[in-house]
Order: sequence, then structure tokens, then C-alpha cells
Amino acid sequence: MKGGIDFHTHPVLAREMVAHHPELEKAARATYFIGNNFQPLEVMLLELDLAGIDKAVVVPVDATTRRNATIYTNEQIVEVCAMSDRLIGFASVDPHQPDAPEKLEHAVGKLELRGLKLSPPMQEFFPDDPLAFPVYEKARALGIPILFHAGMSWQPGSKLKYGHPLRFEDVAASFPGLNIVLAHLAWPWVVDAVALALKYPNIHLDTSALYFDNPVDFLRYAMTQQVPLTVFERSLRKQLIFGSDNPRIETKAMAKAVRSLGLSEECLELVFRANAERLLGGRI
Amino acid sequence: MIIRHRKIEIISRKEFEMIDLTPMVEQFLAETAVANGMVFIMTAHTTSSIVVTEGVECLERDIPLHLERLAPKVPEPGTFGYYHNRMLDFDGRLGFNAGDHLKSVLGGVHAMFAIADGELLKGSRQRVYFVEYDGPLARTVFLQVMGEPAEARA
Repeated sequence: MKGGIDFHTHPVLAREMVAHHPELEKAARATYFIGNNFQPLEVMLLELDLAGIDKAVVVPVDATTRRNATIYTNEQIVEVCAMSDRLIGFASVDPHQPDAPEKLEHAVGKLELRGLKLSPPMQEFFPDDPLAFPVYEKARALGIPILFHAGMSWQPGSKLKYGHPLRFEDVAASFPGLNIVLAHLAWPWVVDAVALALKYPNIHLDTSALYFDNPVDFLRYAMTQQVPLTVFERSLRKQLIFGSDNPRIETKAMAKAVRSLGLSEECLELVFRANAERLLGGRI
Repeated sequence: MIIRHRKIEIISRKEFEMIDLTPMVEQFLAETAVANGMVFIMTAHTTSSIVVTEGVECLERDIPLHLERLAPKVPEPGTFGYYHNRMLDFDGRLGFNAGDHLKSVLGGVHAMFAIADGELLKGSRQRVYFVEYDGPLARTVFLQVMGEPAEARA
């Protein structure tokens, strides 16, 4: 397996961006909720090297209505992506805003962002709430994937109820042409998320799950005990995507954990590269 | 009496790495004009060390690897675990680098040299290193020198 894509990172610790946009310090500390030191972007790229990863998807979150906050604007994502051709920018829009579909169209058409990030617990909407359906329809029409936060949330004030995987079933069923990625294996509801993915081929799961112990031991529990590894190897090999949730989990640590599971080389090639490449339209 | 501080930043490029700080310490000393006194070197981080050892590539590999054997990042299943592997609410993430904190404790976080006639008093093979256990990262090292200028001694 050569190279690959980290499908789930947040550039919140990029020191250069905080220097240009001081409000990003509050976005990192209070909204995203991370206490690690700010680092030069070079460090993130070095970490990708160490993990054997070529590129990383960087995502913002637009929680304007419910939190009066964004964790990077779409324009700031464009700015950080301009610092390295190894970064692939996603957009975020606030589903509560009536012009969210138009903002998404602008982000993809004009800003050339490649996917959509939504965080129902931070943005406070249920994924199957019809208010978000115009955004889904626009994403489908634009041919971009949606990376949803799913499962447990660390941020204070973020409610777990918004992240239950079964709240994504109506979305998957109503938009069969929309590629959906549920982050964090939707832990603790891994079995529910796997059931959803088994039933709906447009549902994908990213690996960025860590809620106790360490990445190696946690993934071993979630992906061999909560659900047998054979389910991922045989049934979901084209729906499992490598994501780290960096900087909450370092890319190097998550990559090591995924590689330690015992998946075949063929499956690892899909998980680390081919599946993400397909969702990104074959361009990386 | 002269007292001077300096904060230097280094970027580790690997997960485990030993970075020779000796030239930086000597340059700092030269710029302060202290002829006789002490210089103190301390890492600002708890998953790194400051160590003094021989400056050879083989030891640069052996030292972090042996510390990793003593305090592994992920202990063998069924052996032991770390209390630090839990949600750190002040950090917004799990602490799963207990082994790196322990390596820092084992390796130590500071070093000190005497200064005589403007030179570090150290053995001919001794070098002072920053040791990374959790890289790559931008890291900070504190230097402080205290002493007298040459004319004061004279």
C-alpha cells in the first residue's frame, strides 16, 4: 500500500492561520475544544510523511446559528490549502440558514472546495430533519461527499442525540446518489452504523474513533469485538475510509492502529486510498 | 553578575529523534559574554528529554528505543496499562501518550554545565541533546546562563 488520504482532519492548530486570524484561537480552544499547542503547518505535513499518507482533507464547521461561531470559514480553508498542495479543502454550511445551498454552491463552484462537512451535534440539527434536505440535494447535484460527525461528541454542549446513526437512514434512503461518510464509526453505535452501511451502499464509515485506551486497543475493540473484522474486510471494504480526526488523534497514531487490525493489503489499499479517491471524484 | 535567558524553537521531524543542542548552547554562551558561571538547559515539554551523552549516531538510535522498551507507547496486551489513557477534559482529547511522559521522566528534562574561561566544562565526548518521544512537533527549549564576564574575574 502506497500513500493514501487522511479523510478527516481539522487544521485548527495551524499557527500561521492563527497569526493571520486571531479569532481562530478562540475557535480552537472554545468551539472545537482542543488544548494542544499551535504548531507550524509543516508539522502536520511531517506527520503525514511519518504516517505514509500523501494528502489530508481539512474541514471547517459552520455553527453560526446555534453557537455564533465557525471553526474556520470556507475562505480560511481555501487559505490554508494554498499553503500546501497536500491539503484538500472541504466546505461547511449552516443548515439553519436558508441560503445554505447557495453558499455550498459558491464554495464548490467558486472556491473549489471538494466536499461538505456537517456536524449535527455542534450545529444542532437532526440529520433527518427536512430543514437540511436542500443542502443534501445541493451536495448530490454538485457530486460532492458529505462528511458527517456521527456518534459521541467531545465538545461541551454538543448533544449525543444528534449523532445517532439511525438518524441518517432517511438521508441515505432519500438521496441514494449522495455519498455519505459517518465519522468516528459513529461510536458507541458501531453496530447500528455498520447495519446502515450494510444496507445502504452510499453510507461510508471513517476510522477516526478513539474514546478510551489508545488508538490500537480502541480500534481492536470497536472493529474486532463490537463488530467482527470480517465484516469490514468482506462486506464494507469499499465503504471504510481512513480518517484520523487530527489533531484530536494524530494521523500517525490512527494509521498505525488501522494497520494493526489485520486487514488484508488489498483492503488497506481501499481504506487508505481508493475509497477516498472515488468519493473525491477520482481526483486527489 | 550576568543572567540571560533564551527560548529556542526546534522542530522534530520523526516520532523518536535526538537533536544535538550543543552548538546552540555554545552560540548562546558566546553571545552572553559570560566567562565563568553556569548554563542551564531545560525542555518546555513533558514528552521529551534533555540528555547528555556521547555524540554518535548509534546512541542516538539506542537511547530512545531503549526508553521505548521501558515505557512503551502501547504495552503488550494483557501486561499493564496507563491511567493516563483517558479523556483529558482540559485538552479536549484522550491522553494516550503516557509512555512518552514516562520516557521523559526516565530521561530527565534538564542539564547543567559549568562555564570556565568562556567554555562549557564538559567531557570531550559529551553532547547535550533534545530527545523527542512524540514527534514530529515544534518544541521549545529554555536556556539560562548565570555568571561573570571575563573582566569581573580578572
